[in-house]
Amino acid sequence: MIPPGLTYLADNITSKDNILGASKAAGARWAKDLNLPKDTETIFFAGCGYQYADELESMMSLIRRVDRSAVSTELTMSLAGFQKKLGIDAAGIYRKVMTKSSNADALPLRDAVKVLSNLGVKVGYLAENEPCCGGLLYYIGLHKEFTTHAQGVYDRLRSSGVKSIISIIPSCTHALSNLIPSNVTGDSLEVKHFCEVVSGSISSLKLRFPRDVKVTYHDPCQLVRYLGLVEEPRRILRAINGIELIETEWTNGEWATCCGGGGGFEAVFPELSQILAVNRAKELVDTGAEIIVTHCPGCIMQLKTGIKELKVKGVEVLDLTQIVAMAMEA
Amino acid sequence: MSVFTEYKKELMDAAHNERIRLALSRAIDSYRGNTNSALERFPHTIKMAEEVREIKAKAISEMEKLTQQACEAIEFNKGKAHIAKTAAEALKIIGELVGKDKLIVKGKSLTSEEIELREYLEEHGNEVYETDLGEFIIQKLGSRPMHLVSPSIHVPREDVAQLFSRITGEELPPDDIERMVATAKKLLREKFFEADVGMSGSNVVAADTGTLFLIENEGNIRLATGAPPVHIALVGMEKLVPTLGDAYKVAEVTWRYANYTVPSYVSMVSGPSKTGDIEKVTTYGAHGPKEFHVIFLDDGRTELAKHPVLSQALHCLRCGGCLYECPVFAVTAGHFGDKYFTCMGAVWTAMITRNMEKAAAIAYTCLTCGRCKVRCPMEIDGPEMIIALRKLIAEGD
Repeated sequence: MIPPGLTYLADNITSKDNILGASKAAGARWAKDLNLPKDTETIFFAGCGYQYADELESMMSLIRRVDRSAVSTELTMSLAGFQKKLGIDAAGIYRKVMTKSSNADALPLRDAVKVLSNLGVKVGYLAENEPCCGGLLYYIGLHKEFTTHAQGVYDRLRSSGVKSIISIIPSCTHALSNLIPSNVTGDSLEVKHFCEVVSGSISSLKLRFPRDVKVTYHDPCQLVRYLGLVEEPRRILRAINGIELIETEWTNGEWATCCGGGGGFEAVFPELSQILAVNRAKELVDTGAEIIVTHCPGCIMQLKTGIKELKVKGVEVLDLTQIVAMAMEA
Repeated sequence: MSVFTEYKKELMDAAHNERIRLALSRAIDSYRGNTNSALERFPHTIKMAEEVREIKAKAISEMEKLTQQACEAIEFNKGKAHIAKTAAEALKIIGELVGKDKLIVKGKSLTSEEIELREYLEEHGNEVYETDLGEFIIQKLGSRPMHLVSPSIHVPREDVAQLFSRITGEELPPDDIERMVATAKKLLREKFFEADVGMSGSNVVAADTGTLFLIENEGNIRLATGAPPVHIALVGMEKLVPTLGDAYKVAEVTWRYANYTVPSYVSMVSGPSKTGDIEKVTTYGAHGPKEFHVIFLDDGRTELAKHPVLSQALHCLRCGGCLYECPVFAVTAGHFGDKYFTCMGAVWTAMITRNMEKAAAIAYTCLTCGRCKVRCPMEIDGPEMIIALRKLIAEGD
């Protein structure tokens, strides 16, 4: 009784070790020229959402088109099924994405590494060998598969010599720091979220945004309500000269409204997910901010869609890592 | 069409319905404003909610014992107490008490919706009037409740005006809410006094004294449970708490999170109406009902109480606060649910009304965003329940 859209994503995790079923090399291409070491005790965990952001966006826009069209609701339920019926070839789509894009949406990752390095935090990156956290398996109820997968994740991390992790995607961070340790044997690894690490030492940097700008911040659900990171991203934003943070009325911090994505909801209810993205984007746009800052690849994709649907001009959606990197350069 | 496909279609129709969105956006704003000011005016509520969490946790763990105790107390008060193991048993008991060709006035009760009591009584030749304004609107629209506290939350005023114009043959202007309320009052007034049976649920029950608490603002419950010669109450076993003092605390937290500083009426009913004014001879049925029946409904509740995660659902006070914080509910209303709504609805559908396919469809509609938990005075962890339920659906345990 699991909606087939979700079983498709689950199969991708167990068979291809990433949520989209793309190649691991594609996921790691963002870091090719950065020469990050693979054998360090502290690693940067990039996660599927950012690494496959372009693939995810192409797939979602396709799913939404189908969901809205007259091809019936039956089809979107079965992602694998409609791919076959409509002659869609996921691997082909991903190839096209790879050739046409420089993976612009992986910029948050490059910026994250840059920010960490400026703060003197040295990290490695496992690249193709970085496991998918498998959190989705847990969220959709496949706990046996999750437990097996989780053991594999931990074994691989330990055998790579990893002692501590700086993770950036909220849901991966929750999986790595809470779900996996309570489902596997052996000592836990130390897991911190990027914004925890950065907010602790941000005052050591002189930060100035290229221009005076009003921004608002969208709290990703898992970051704020699962991991309790309310103040950390705000502390980072307030440390940047030229940035004025305007909060939404009521719906900020632990009361933030979900962007309508995440947990696979968007694969089961693509159109509804878009309606929710528009609603949240409107709450954020109503603050009068020129930049919507958030800190999750799912939220970024959703809010960009929301802004586009609202036909709002002059409002950008950026990751917190990008904002900090821009303020370092200026 | 599969259960999921049918459900998804209904959900998407709702999501495209501008009327629902309009009605809900008005309701969400007013709920947040009212609740914030109610909590500011009575800040002790936050601390009291903590106490209530402990009261409920303990009460749920000894639900069966409390039910026995309440039954004894009600019998001692000269009422009649019944325990129904299943919904069918509850319907049978009530059906026998009511009989045929009776006029029945009902106060709002979600538990009666759960077992489809109104439909059952109507099928058996009785005339049933929902007397809560929201329920009355729903009944006349042939729709179903879309919120715990405000069943007609998805119906904007314009639609109510249209409905009442049709019923009365008079043109009601869409901005005259006062006149709509007066119209319902006029339509229902005589029914309270003509009725053979009055029915209600209860928000919370004190096991030691057998006292039912009925929270309301309209006054329809006082009339429905006071005027007819018989009062029948249907109560889920999860509503029981040990003492009258506990019950009071549960009631106050419930109404505060249902966005009221204080409700206009709280009735406490423990037995039939009686007098001893003539020579101290106790005689039953003075001005109120001569007969008072309480049916305690199990129907899966004692089983649910054993589940390590899903039992949280039994702590729910039915204040409805979580619904105003759910982003999916904001565009679909109770279409995201069945008898109960959102994450709570998924658990209830799986464990109480036991429709696993429908429960699965509802469970996978939850974003697991967790804002419901931030609102909940009982700190019920919606996402945690949903993930446990998905595990049950996917793996069978």
